[in-house]
Amino acid sequence: MRKKQVISNAVLYLFLIAVLIGTMFPLLYTVLASFKSNAEILTNPGSMLPKNPTVNNYVQAWTSDSFHVPTLLRNSVIYTLVNMFTTLLISSMAGYVFARGHFKFKKLIFYCFTALMFIKTGGITIYATFKVLSAVHLDRSLFALMVVHLFSIPIVNIYLIKGNVETIPTAIDEAAKIDGCSFVGVFFKIILPMLKPILATVAILAFNSSWNDYLMPNIFTLTAPGQRTLIVGLMALKSSGESAASWNLMLAGASIAMLPVLVAFAFCNKYFVKGIAAGAVKG
Amino acid sequence: MVTEKNLAASTVAIKKKKFIGSEAFWCYLMIAIPVIGFVVLHVYPIFWTFKWSFFSYYGVESTAKFIVLDNFKTFFTQDFTYWKAWGNTLIFALIKMPVEITFAMLLALALNKKMKGAGMFRAMYFLPNIISVAIVGLILSNMFSYNGIINNLFVKSGLLNENIDWFADKWHAFAMIIIGSVWSTFGVNVMYLLAALATVPEELYESAEIDGASKMRRFFSITLPLIAPVFQTILLLSLIGSLSVNEYIIVLTNGGPHGQTNTVMSYLYTKFVPGFADSANPQLGYGCAMSLVTTIIVACIAIFYNKFSNKMKNLY
Repeated sequence: MRKKQVISNAVLYLFLIAVLIGTMFPLLYTVLASFKSNAEILTNPGSMLPKNPTVNNYVQAWTSDSFHVPTLLRNSVIYTLVNMFTTLLISSMAGYVFARGHFKFKKLIFYCFTALMFIKTGGITIYATFKVLSAVHLDRSLFALMVVHLFSIPIVNIYLIKGNVETIPTAIDEAAKIDGCSFVGVFFKIILPMLKPILATVAILAFNSSWNDYLMPNIFTLTAPGQRTLIVGLMALKSSGESAASWNLMLAGASIAMLPVLVAFAFCNKYFVKGIAAGAVKG
Repeated sequence: MVTEKNLAASTVAIKKKKFIGSEAFWCYLMIAIPVIGFVVLHVYPIFWTFKWSFFSYYGVESTAKFIVLDNFKTFFTQDFTYWKAWGNTLIFALIKMPVEITFAMLLALALNKKMKGAGMFRAMYFLPNIISVAIVGLILSNMFSYNGIINNLFVKSGLLNENIDWFADKWHAFAMIIIGSVWSTFGVNVMYLLAALATVPEELYESAEIDGASKMRRFFSITLPLIAPVFQTILLLSLIGSLSVNEYIIVLTNGGPHGQTNTVMSYLYTKFVPGFADSANPQLGYGCAMSLVTTIIVACIAIFYNKFSNKMKNLY
């Protein structure tokens, strides 16, 4: 019986480790290949380790004109930080209001917001968005996209925060209200400080989605290449004519773009997990 | 509801306050931005799409022509590429979902045994999920390129006789798309399933084991029914995700070869959205008609699924 247990455990571990290798392989390959010369990437793809490791690709990416990483990085950082901040602000206020507020159309508004999850219009509505933007005299730019993002509805995050506010006993609010705190005051002074862990989760999810965003930033920076984010710049290089000649640059760029996300995951993986798991169980 | 009303009524009675400055006022103010966004960026575009779907419209309103139902007629009776894209979407969803969910379930069951390193495995499996879909496409198109590492490994190990061009025909491209897609998203399903499995009480398994129930029997009679509600959600998320797969297709094959791997959403993007469309001046009215029908079909599938899976739940 005991022997059987050991064998079945060994098989189990072998299975898990095999999957682990398969999962990590493409990421490892990318990072290692980013230290190869372009010729080696094209002619000798079979070996994982670079023959003559070089940081030349990174130097080139840092200084090249067509794929100027410092500018792209700057744009990515601005775009991500602003979106993170607005997501935190909007979703924490909305989560609190939907959990605690009493007003006429609360249920209706909440249902409307939720229904958006099931409406996929396939991109054509971007033209309507452009119309709205030109009505308020905003040109297509990364800034305009951040404004659009501010007004979009972070429904999953609202759910996360609403669920968390609901676990806080209402007695706490009432005590504060007796002490003269207003509805808004309760939010900023009492509730918000208690939401720190879930706010960390929302922040990390918002960081990840903005940093990785491709379609929308691409649409909004078509006429302003100087405002491209790192991901958009990478994809522009990929679809350009010099694509085959630039695998070294692209893989170096991809490694740079993955780095912040991987570092964030390494340090905050419990917040990631919490957000994901809560999302599933609550539906 | 009653208490809410009473509370509101008594607040009004006691304080005799005006609306401005009241709790409801502050509530509306705190969600004003998303509400405005909802009206301006969601409701208005839906009406916009509805309106122009009856026009021949190239983006200039003065030259737009009202053509009643011609857009719908054309694409229901003549435009087979759109319906082929639906076929591709269903192929993608119907192959990917069972493969991915079964795979994730096996891993979740293995990890649920409180073994050493379970947390580490779970985290590592999730890694591809947090990487930009655009970069996933970039990495995969390098690895699957003709002289790429995948061909190289397959030939070396004898699985393939010679290098194949994964991008040249529909089925090779689909195989690549599905392999890559499972790789990049199975981890999230492992997490979902682990969260679900954690809610099943240990004692049930113990007593079933004493009663002599086999492992298979325990899985189908205890685990599956108990995690059914969460499982239902997981399938719904996976279904919606698979039906609306878009960015991933655009960055990996861009619908190629010859549009044969386009899904509905990527088809709409590569036809009508600036920066992705092959034509500089698409007939937007036609696009509106297509988007409208697509939206309705996706919503109907989700609703149908919900009804159907509720029936299944009652059966258990």
